[in-house]
Amino acid sequence: MAIKVEEKQLTLLERLYVLEVVRGIALTTGHFFRNMAVHIARLFGLAKDKKGSTTFQYPEERRPLAPRLRTLHRLTRREDGAPRCVACMMCETVCPAHCISIVAGEHPNPLIEKYPTRFDIDLGLCVFCGYCVEACPEDAIRMDTGVLEFTSFSREGMVYDLNKLLARSETPKPNEESKVKTA
Amino acid sequence: MPTLTIDGQEVTVDAGTTVIQAAEQIGINIPRYCYHPGLSLAGRCRMCLVEIETFPNLQIACYTRAQDEMVVSTTSERVLSARQSMLEFLLSNHPLDCPVCDQSGECDLQNFYMDHGQYQSRFLENKVKKKKAFPIGPHVILDQERCILCTRCVRFTEEVSKSNELGVFNRGSRSVIDLYPTKSLDNPYSGNVIDICPVGALTEREFRFKCRVWYLASQESICTGCSRGCNISLDYNGSRRAYKAGGRRVMRIKPRYNPDINKWWICDEGRFGYGFIDTDRIETPMQRTTSDLEPSDWDPALARVAETVKAAYSEKGANGVGVIVSPQLSNEELLACRELFVEKMKLTNVAALNPWEEPGEADDFLRNADRNPNTKGVEDLGYSGDAKAVLEKAAEGEIEVLIIFRHNLADGEAGKLLEKAKFVVYVGTNWNATAERAHVVLPGATHAEKDGTFTNFEGRVQRFKQALLPIGDSRNDSQIISEMAAKLGYSLPASADEIFEAWKGISLDELSGSGSSVDPDTAVQA
Amino acid sequence: MEYAIDVGKVLFWFSSIMGLASILTWMERKQSAVMQDRIGANRADIFGFRILGLFHIIADSIKMFTKQDFVPAQGNRILHTVAPMIALFFALVGFAAVPFGGTYEIAGYTVSLQVLDLNVGLLFVFAMMSMGIYGFVLGGWASANNYALLGGLRASGQMISYEITMGATVIGTIMVYGTLSLQQMNIAQGELLFGWIPAWGILLQPLGCILFVTAALAETKRVPFDVPEGESEIIGYFVEYSGMRFGMFFLTDFIETVLAAVLTTTLFFGGWQVPYLYAGGFEFPWGGSFELPVVAVMLLQVGAFMAKVFTLCFIFLLIRWTLPRFRWDQLMRLGWTIMLPLSILNIVVTGVVLLIVGN
Ligand code: SF4
Ligand code: SF4
Ligand code: SF4
Repeated sequence: MAIKVEEKQLTLLERLYVLEVVRGIALTTGHFFRNMAVHIARLFGLAKDKKGSTTFQYPEERRPLAPRLRTLHRLTRREDGAPRCVACMMCETVCPAHCISIVAGEHPNPLIEKYPTRFDIDLGLCVFCGYCVEACPEDAIRMDTGVLEFTSFSREGMVYDLNKLLARSETPKPNEESKVKTA
Repeated sequence: MPTLTIDGQEVTVDAGTTVIQAAEQIGINIPRYCYHPGLSLAGRCRMCLVEIETFPNLQIACYTRAQDEMVVSTTSERVLSARQSMLEFLLSNHPLDCPVCDQSGECDLQNFYMDHGQYQSRFLENKVKKKKAFPIGPHVILDQERCILCTRCVRFTEEVSKSNELGVFNRGSRSVIDLYPTKSLDNPYSGNVIDICPVGALTEREFRFKCRVWYLASQESICTGCSRGCNISLDYNGSRRAYKAGGRRVMRIKPRYNPDINKWWICDEGRFGYGFIDTDRIETPMQRTTSDLEPSDWDPALARVAETVKAAYSEKGANGVGVIVSPQLSNEELLACRELFVEKMKLTNVAALNPWEEPGEADDFLRNADRNPNTKGVEDLGYSGDAKAVLEKAAEGEIEVLIIFRHNLADGEAGKLLEKAKFVVYVGTNWNATAERAHVVLPGATHAEKDGTFTNFEGRVQRFKQALLPIGDSRNDSQIISEMAAKLGYSLPASADEIFEAWKGISLDELSGSGSSVDPDTAVQA
Repeated sequence: MEYAIDVGKVLFWFSSIMGLASILTWMERKQSAVMQDRIGANRADIFGFRILGLFHIIADSIKMFTKQDFVPAQGNRILHTVAPMIALFFALVGFAAVPFGGTYEIAGYTVSLQVLDLNVGLLFVFAMMSMGIYGFVLGGWASANNYALLGGLRASGQMISYEITMGATVIGTIMVYGTLSLQQMNIAQGELLFGWIPAWGILLQPLGCILFVTAALAETKRVPFDVPEGESEIIGYFVEYSGMRFGMFFLTDFIETVLAAVLTTTLFFGGWQVPYLYAGGFEFPWGGSFELPVVAVMLLQVGAFMAKVFTLCFIFLLIRWTLPRFRWDQLMRLGWTIMLPLSILNIVVTGVVLLIVGN
């Protein structure tokens, strides 16, 4: 059943438009002068606690990331520093972008058995769906690095291998606000 | 002939049939682990319990004979709850390491648990630890923790391979499958225990960690290891991009049930002998220009062959050209060769068999000494004489051009004769000494890359189907012959289907849905 | 010397317009940003100095001069090139008849701060404004692009509709001041009503003023009247323009804004008049006076004119960044069924009032 949306009827005054225009302009003008006052005050070193704009001045200033935000992948480590990943290929299988390629190898410890000798994610293909994280039975892959900048001048540069993915797991959270609770 | 009712369906079966078989006849698949149609009954796993009216207790369907007026239920409350409990029991000591298990994806524990699982674990005790992941033979790895002690593998070594390497040791929850002391699972049929193991306890060493099974696609084929012609499935990398599997395409071979030839089994040689499909292949036509073989194209290579053949033909007539076809070729390719070389060109020096070939091992089960899949086909199609006579003539210089299919004739006595041949054309799939010494090399396709039939030693014409595209620039041999014929001024069909139809009067698809055996005489009448 | 004065006038007037127009390109971004709690363009710097992003004007012009100059393959190359020039030319020419100061006797010379003193100045300005439309329509047509053509047609439709209102609106003003010469109008606005209220157009013609400003905004084709451009839907007549040719259209936009502000000032806000300031200095109605040299008077009046124009530009930008775009049918309805009858009503009422007052 379709939802019926009640249309709000405009009053005569609103329909005349002129008054509404004036009110609108009053609102924007208010913002203009308030913000301008703050800008000028800050120019003279006053009103440091106020901001004239909601903008983040990107490279210098960074926006706090939501804790659930999916960012650059990392592979977690065991206590001894080896990758947790057991090369089960659940992530490779579930990945809708087919951007993960894993080559499994025989681990000397028969209790671990299997580990990835190669683990490549082609971030140029990745759609950041997070399915790989969901699928992993070992909590071996996460997308909580808070790193959003990983551009490259070549396609090959977008392919992150095992070492690059593991490199992030020592210092996973450069941004305090994006801190993820670890169990 | 008892008539019984299973889940409301009536079925009449032969006397002595078990309930599990009777149910199968009407398409009801009762879950089972220990029961295998090719092995004796063990009744160990209790997974196939069914409810039969007038019996107070649930009965195992694999052991109970069908009787008149039996009323069987495979889906009653009691049956379902029994299956759930059995699974809970079987899994109580299971390590649940599906992520690292190669069986994952085709494991009966996973499959049945999806239908009859309890999902909420009630197990509080510690699991019994057993020995994990150790090789018990050249091809097989055993993980005792994953084993559910169905004893299929033990029964196989007792009854089928009759080599008695495996047994059950210890008691209760500590029972394990293991080798008898001093033994190793190295019988020529050891790979079959991998197939029959319903869980991931016995896995393949060759296939280990190479590929997850859900990436595999499968095609029906025929083993080319010997003249038995066992039915197989070629499992190849299907949905996974090839580069992720190191460029390898065929990942493993599994037996395909054929009651008349190999039943459920194949030998290890056939099972693991697929490496040649992806390694050391001749990928482009080659020509010897000055002294080296250099990559070339089909057109110039074939043109050169045709020119040389024509020159020899006009100089020495039908004696000037020699051809050695191979029992590795399919019937259709042999037919094409016969048509071109024997019927059209009327060559006198056409041979097929290699007298120097070393016979393989043979036994009274599957393996034959003749290691070619189509020797019978060669004979049936009227090829006679062996390579020796032809080679000798080539060495004497009587034969100007020698065309060799598949055979490696560069060793020993044959090699000495081949040395002296004036112009050698090699049509083959893999590099060998003969190819390296040839003047023109034409790359052919393996059985995984083409359609066709082989005739096994009993005279059964069996179909194999194309799974892959020919590697690199290589081509189906019947196409090569057809193009060579065109350059020589004849016209021959190129597709295996056409040739087969002209031969037998039925299309390849009619021969068999599955490549199962057909007596050649019946096929002609069909 | 006469020529020198003339050339000086032209140069001053031209550079003020161009300067204001280019500052507007920066102001538009900066002002809208501040209104919307943003920061706005602030990245262009020279040796690390950013001065509130003012360098973006320079950066923009460098960009426009160096960008690829694209002509669509199917388009008409000549018209495609000429169109923005036509638009820019007519927008600029209109200013000639507008006085930016009075007439002053300085050192024996009579300096009239008006480039072209026409007694039908108003008509001239209107005529030039109407000619500008050819630039837009031609640009749209020569691009061989359906959206561009649609934009050009919308522009012409809109211009025609609102020009009528605009013409009808100023009739009231003409009736009040009894002249078509813009200089005469400005002089007339220096008089006082009831002895102390400056006789500015906005007081004599309040309705006319609102209607005129609305119509003038529509003439500049800016939000809320930007259907010919409509960046979010059809992009408009300049969709196939790039580089400096686009730059000319872009500049025309701002010059038209300045023209609208200049006209509004001249017609309704006393032009260069400063209340109570006469040729000799201030003379307040409550007695008291303040002598000033002629040059000071001139500077004050020109400055007042510029300040008024600038303030109006600011208000126009405010409006532009506050209101949403009209739909095409709303635009037409507003023009033909509301503004036009109102402007005619304005004429009638003005006539009646004039009759009563005249008697
Ligand atoms: S985030 Fe999605 S697309 Fe990216 S690697 Fe993981 S599963 Fe693949
Ligand atoms: S799902 Fe986890 S454990 Fe499995 S391969 Fe991917 S990262 Fe490794
Ligand atoms: S190893 Fe496999 S086949 Fe053998 S008893 Fe265990 S589960 Fe059964």
